Amino acid sequence: MELYDKIRILADAAKYDVSCSSSGSNRENKNGGIGNASFYGICHSWSDDGRCISLLKILFTNICIYNCSYCVNRCSNDIERALFTPDELADLTINFYRRNYIEGLFLSSAVYKSPDYTMELLIKTVKKLREDYNFNGYIHLKAIPGADINLIRLAGLYADRMSVNIELPSEKSLKLLAPQKTKESIIKPMSFIHNQLLEKSDSKKLMRYSDKFVPAGQTTQLIIGATPESDRTILKLSENLYKLYSLKRVYYSAYIPVSNGNNISGVTSPPLLREHRLYQADWLLRYYNFTADELLNEKNPNFNISLDPKVDWALKNLSLFPVEVNTADYNTLLRVPGIGVRTAKRIISARKASSLSYDSLKKLGVVLKRAKYFITCNGKYYGGCEIETNKIKNKLLPKSNVLEGQLSIFDSFYKTENNLPIIV
Amino acid sequence: MVNYIFDGTFDGLMTVIYVSYYNHQVPNDILSENSYQKNFLGDDIYISTDINKSNKVQNAIKNKISKEALKNIYYVYLSELESSYMLIYKYVRLGFKIGRKINYFLQNDIVNDVIKLSQRINHEAYKMIELIRFKEIKNGLFYAKIHPDYNVLPLIVPHFAERFQDQYFVIHDVKRNLSAVYDKKSWIITDISPENTLITKEEEDFENLWKIYHKNISIEERKNLRLQRQHMPKKYWDILIEKQ
Repeated sequence: MELYDKIRILADAAKYDVSCSSSGSNRENKNGGIGNASFYGICHSWSDDGRCISLLKILFTNICIYNCSYCVNRCSNDIERALFTPDELADLTINFYRRNYIEGLFLSSAVYKSPDYTMELLIKTVKKLREDYNFNGYIHLKAIPGADINLIRLAGLYADRMSVNIELPSEKSLKLLAPQKTKESIIKPMSFIHNQLLEKSDSKKLMRYSDKFVPAGQTTQLIIGATPESDRTILKLSENLYKLYSLKRVYYSAYIPVSNGNNISGVTSPPLLREHRLYQADWLLRYYNFTADELLNEKNPNFNISLDPKVDWALKNLSLFPVEVNTADYNTLLRVPGIGVRTAKRIISARKASSLSYDSLKKLGVVLKRAKYFITCNGKYYGGCEIETNKIKNKLLPKSNVLEGQLSIFDSFYKTENNLPIIV
Repeated sequence: MVNYIFDGTFDGLMTVIYVSYYNHQVPNDILSENSYQKNFLGDDIYISTDINKSNKVQNAIKNKISKEALKNIYYVYLSELESSYMLIYKYVRLGFKIGRKINYFLQNDIVNDVIKLSQRINHEAYKMIELIRFKEIKNGLFYAKIHPDYNVLPLIVPHFAERFQDQYFVIHDVKRNLSAVYDKKSWIITDISPENTLITKEEEDFENLWKIYHKNISIEERKNLRLQRQHMPKKYWDILIEKQ
């Protein structure tokens, strides 16, 4: 089979994995070799769907012994199949890297022959890159669920980041849609990687030069909308993953109907807006010190589709507002809709020079359109309406009647809203 | 009403600042000789570049203001905007008065303009680091063409020299006709550029493989060309293999 066809088939098969980040590692180039890793990560292109392309994200093979009904590569699906060799893939990575197309490799695979056999193929490829080509760019490796722990350990010495995809947010869904995978086969490598990281960070205190083990940590992915879990279930799961396993990221992937499997709840188009709300909330967990329970509760287990989670939270907690921008501390500022991490830092630093005027807030990057209802500036309130939930809500909601004539921008917004899967 | 004219180099601009301080003379404007047309209203003084004076000013900025301020100044200089020279001058004056804390004064227009402009240059340099595409034009020699709005070439070469230690490369700014040349040891920026940039057959293969990869990694159901354009502005498409 031609290399062209392999790339076509195996890139196509890898596209549903949404992780694209190349950040978190600052591996240096050494001995006149090729490549290094930028700590902040670098995107090199954007695909037609607007997603960043940072790594050569590809499957080693899509020939799979499993039959998970949400997955396009399941063995019962009648599609073209292909298989790389470690040489081909290493050579391709180096040549794409030299041309500045990519930051490195994101290598995943279907389960070929057995989990161990597949893991060995992935290791062979990255070993070649690191040792034969002296490649020091970024490598993200997928830990194949069910693979031997010793193989995971070995893989971790070559990779910058590893991930085990949870895919389905509950054990019940896993049983239903991926009966060959078990909760244990996912959690075991995840907790192993976590323990290795803890061990390494302890030994680092003793020895300066300990082997690097996945310096950029581990991530996972959850599929949204293929099964009936609520946003709250999903967000609580993420919160625990951050807490228990120190995951760097949880990625959310709106389920794209690639299957006519009977077990999938009738999804016709991907719940993109729901995915977006989960990402916004995830951000609030990681950078804004929110907890999942603050954002959603048993009475309201799903996000409001028309308001972003921070605005929604602020409106439910109006008693905490307005806050005075000239005196509020960093954490309080962070909770104001329209003020982000960078803006909050800028406000703190500009305050050291002089008191802030309302006009200057825009210069500092405050999105006044949202923030003005939740702040005072030198004691004065600029919201122009009473501080009352419904009044502010009315001002912040997109005006549907205004939109009818100019649907272009919000088109997808409403389409997505209608197409959210029904949660049973 | 005096205008200072200099040779357009960074050292030249620093010399202007030195002379102005030494003469206790606030300029009406600072102009580079390339764009300068004689003005009959004021006195024009040509300042010849003096490396020692430039170094003195740069050290003073580093010590009395901050390293970050010097970085901002250099980035603003690379914008090549005529108005940037006076802006730098005012920023330095203010900096000598306020000192280390200058960048807290985000409400001040001079500080705000400098920081915003410096961020714009930084942003374009970063875009170039993302979007540059090298082509192999001779065995082992890689060539990339760019045409950035600002003169960001000096900002991006160190990144590639570090990364491609084992690779000969040339980055050619066609707009300014400047080339950064790296020989596996060090790099220089010159105005000599390679004459022949025709690609090899093997190179063509890799370009096609990349195009195929790029096409197939996209999810049809999520198509969003507007978002793609936001990150990958159209003005750079001619240097992007995947957009040709």
